[in-house]
Amino acid sequence: MTTERFITELCQISGTDPDGIYIKGRKEGWLEAADEVSKDTQITRKIAARIIHMYLLKVLHVNDLDISGAKELKDLYDCRVCANHIAQAYMRGIMNAKDLKRDGGFLWFDLNSTDDDAEVMAQLSRLSSIADSSLI
Amino acid sequence: MNLSGPDPIKDNRLRFDHFEDKLFNKTPRLPAMGWNSWNAFGSGNTEELTKAMVFKIKELELDKLGYKYIVLDDGCYHPERIDGHLKADEVKFPSGFKAMADFVHGHNLKFGMYNDIGTRLCSGAEVGIYRHEKTDCEDYIKWAIDFLKVDNCYYMWDNATFADPGNAKYSFAPNIRSIYFAGKTYPAAGYADITGTCASVEYGYIDYVTSIGTFDGTAPEHSPVGSRSSELVFEVEIDEPGEFELVVTYASGKKEGVGGWLQVAVNSDVVFDEMLPDTGSPETFKDSAPIKLRFTEPGFNKLRIMNHRRQENTLLSYSKIRRELEAAGDRDIVFSICEWGKTQPQNWGHKVGDSWRILNDITFQVGSDGNPGTAKWEDDYTTSITSQYNKAVIMDEFSGLDKGWNDPDMLVIGMDGISDTMCRTHMAMWCMLNAPLMLGLDLRRISKGDALYNIISNKDLIALDQDPLGIQAKRIFTTVCCTRPDKEYIRDNKRTDVLVKPLANGDIAIGFFNLDQESQSNDISMDIDMLISALGGKIINKDAFLNAGNFRIKDLLAGEESESSDRSFGSGILNPCDCKVLRITPLP
Repeated sequence: MTTERFITELCQISGTDPDGIYIKGRKEGWLEAADEVSKDTQITRKIAARIIHMYLLKVLHVNDLDISGAKELKDLYDCRVCANHIAQAYMRGIMNAKDLKRDGGFLWFDLNSTDDDAEVMAQLSRLSSIADSSLI
Repeated sequence: MNLSGPDPIKDNRLRFDHFEDKLFNKTPRLPAMGWNSWNAFGSGNTEELTKAMVFKIKELELDKLGYKYIVLDDGCYHPERIDGHLKADEVKFPSGFKAMADFVHGHNLKFGMYNDIGTRLCSGAEVGIYRHEKTDCEDYIKWAIDFLKVDNCYYMWDNATFADPGNAKYSFAPNIRSIYFAGKTYPAAGYADITGTCASVEYGYIDYVTSIGTFDGTAPEHSPVGSRSSELVFEVEIDEPGEFELVVTYASGKKEGVGGWLQVAVNSDVVFDEMLPDTGSPETFKDSAPIKLRFTEPGFNKLRIMNHRRQENTLLSYSKIRRELEAAGDRDIVFSICEWGKTQPQNWGHKVGDSWRILNDITFQVGSDGNPGTAKWEDDYTTSITSQYNKAVIMDEFSGLDKGWNDPDMLVIGMDGISDTMCRTHMAMWCMLNAPLMLGLDLRRISKGDALYNIISNKDLIALDQDPLGIQAKRIFTTVCCTRPDKEYIRDNKRTDVLVKPLANGDIAIGFFNLDQESQSNDISMDIDMLISALGGKIINKDAFLNAGNFRIKDLLAGEESESSDRSFGSGILNPCDCKVLRITPLP
């Protein structure tokens, strides 16, 4: 899925008009200029985690969780600027990790990979559930 | 863009053997103080927020205490170059960087920016300084910056963050099985000397030496003290000076510990410095093409098989920036090296920078507007106050006015997850360690006289950090079993440390730091003779201490002063994560 479609789908599940969303999202602090520049590229998991986390913070005003539990991700610290984004998306159950040895033996977020469309839609659906519960 | 390999090293002063030599005429300066956007706002910093911080610094009069540098960290640039130039993110910084600099300077503060020695910034913006050093440095001078922090993501010649892990091929020599020299085969394992502690022998079907290179210091596992690099040294005897051929039997790889880049030196002359052809696997050994060596001295010579490129390449990259800043008209810019301790910058940082980070970040949970972020007191990775302290506290030998400063990262005072006591101790630690003091909180959250303000504005502690003598405190005692408290890397936080620091006016400062999250059970007392002995020749006024009849003692956290004729100074019982810092003045 491209970055643009990811953002459009996110707008749709949240009932936001996607027109002018790049400027609006940047002003609100949950999108970066790079998201528009790279709108036609396949969205990587680390970029998806950033957008999801910043959307939680800036739009839904959902506070961060403790990220100690995300240390089980062997590649968490491979990304200094997105470690917290990944940890928050993971700890909230929005984005899963790969279990490379089964039974939690080697959990790998695989931050530079991409997910197929069905998985991305499932992530956005889980985000939507948090959005719904945050309104209660 | 040339990504075919690192540049040749033409200046011997960039070589490992010459790391102690000077490279630039640096201005001696004390650790920088100011505010940096990263811990406070992460990638979400804006012109509006930065201006608000400037107003708060003036309102709180933090500038009068020394906090003068306002530094824009990652996340402020447009994600691509425009006509080859850096440009501000037009939403976050609509007025541009020059206007931002003018605003900061207009308030008698100094303005700092950020870049990266790689192709991209850590945030992913494709504006890293690599191959744009001249253009970017000219722009930085036009924008009138006073401070430049340079990161290490997406670096081409090492397996740095976001870089290709296979870049380790540049950082390590291949596995070495043997060499063939002057008609004789010399096995690597068991015959050659291995210097340092990085390399080791692998015994098996084929014995060989591996990990010839430099430890990665990004994570907290390894001590920064001692030789962090390894070479394989053969002592060879020749009858007459002349040209000889060397054949190396090697197996190459592309991972930490086994690479493909080989350096060969005859005594102190590097005579070969290239990538060897790939052998296919780290266990597939092949012979190199003959390498021609010239020997000028008969008898025993040292033939060094090595790869110091991890350190040399990074130094070369940082030195290009410094050189271009100077060429463009350096306006006394503070140069902050931020390669996270990866290449052991304590060995070479003094040649080019004013400070060098010693580890990966102190927190990965940075704040954003309305969210203070989270920090920790202790953690098994680098992301805690004690993780940074534990490494910095044994690094005093590397710092100084004529060198620069160990940088255990920016302050996390004011973040969630740490108590006021922890913040106070954090501030005291950084001041005793002569660390740069870069505030990392949203200053709008504090007011004069509140707890956070009192911590960051403690003039007595700041005076230790900014003491003109510029000597980092030395750890002279710790409560865990240890024979060399000033050198041993200790990560068990169930302890109290005692640090001592000489000061320019002849006073000394003593710091007692309880790192444990339990109360310390005993008073720790230090005798004045032991303190003098530990400081050796660094103490300014030794005789005054030896002959003192009384001492004036100021508790720098409690703010209380007293006089005593007692020749020992105690910690009292310290609460969890608490500290006591005393300034001692000898009196007749």
